[in-house]
Amino acid sequence: MTYSDVALNAVLFAVLFDALILRTQMMTRGIFWLTYGLILPFQLLTNWWLTSKSIVMYSSTQIMGRRLAGAPIEDLLFGFSMILFTLACWEFISQKINSRTPAPRE
Amino acid sequence: MARANYLYVLLFISACAIFVTLLFRLRAENFWKRFLITDVVVLAVYVAWDYWAISRGNWYFDKNQILGIFVLSKLPIEEILFFIIVPLMTILTYLALKKLTGWGTREP
Repeated sequence: MTYSDVALNAVLFAVLFDALILRTQMMTRGIFWLTYGLILPFQLLTNWWLTSKSIVMYSSTQIMGRRLAGAPIEDLLFGFSMILFTLACWEFISQKINSRTPAPRE
Repeated sequence: MARANYLYVLLFISACAIFVTLLFRLRAENFWKRFLITDVVVLAVYVAWDYWAISRGNWYFDKNQILGIFVLSKLPIEEILFFIIVPLMTILTYLALKKLTGWGTREP
């Protein structure tokens, strides 16, 4: 499997985990896309720093070869996957913890 | 110091995290408990993926621009920190935007 395959699988994994396993439905929420949209330019900035200085290098046989801000576009998929997965877990855990908080007595 | 070049990115994101927290006066009940549980899951999944990709040579690091401390013999410590700081910043951004817009506060 190349990084392209891995990155696509990572997106698929996060999407299915959010929609079917945790059922947090992050992808249907405006706040999720707003958050993603704000983080994206910062990811590009980070990618640019890490790749323009060759701190991280990518095997050229493992990627499609198209790059954005220095990093393979696969990185965008991987980043999206991580943001979606993180927020889905956060929402799921928040719901669990909040529902365990005892309701005020009457 | 070139050895800290990767670390600088992490310090930058940490500075953003502190800035956003103070600017929006973010407070959340059980924040660290919720974050700890979330990040253990994120670490388990993405560090495994990272380890696998590094093992296969999908990506590699300039030894002169990292601290040189490795976890599980091939993961630079910066990578572990990355999977702690980036999810933290992601959640803080999410909370800040929720507070700013009021969106999502009445969702299930």
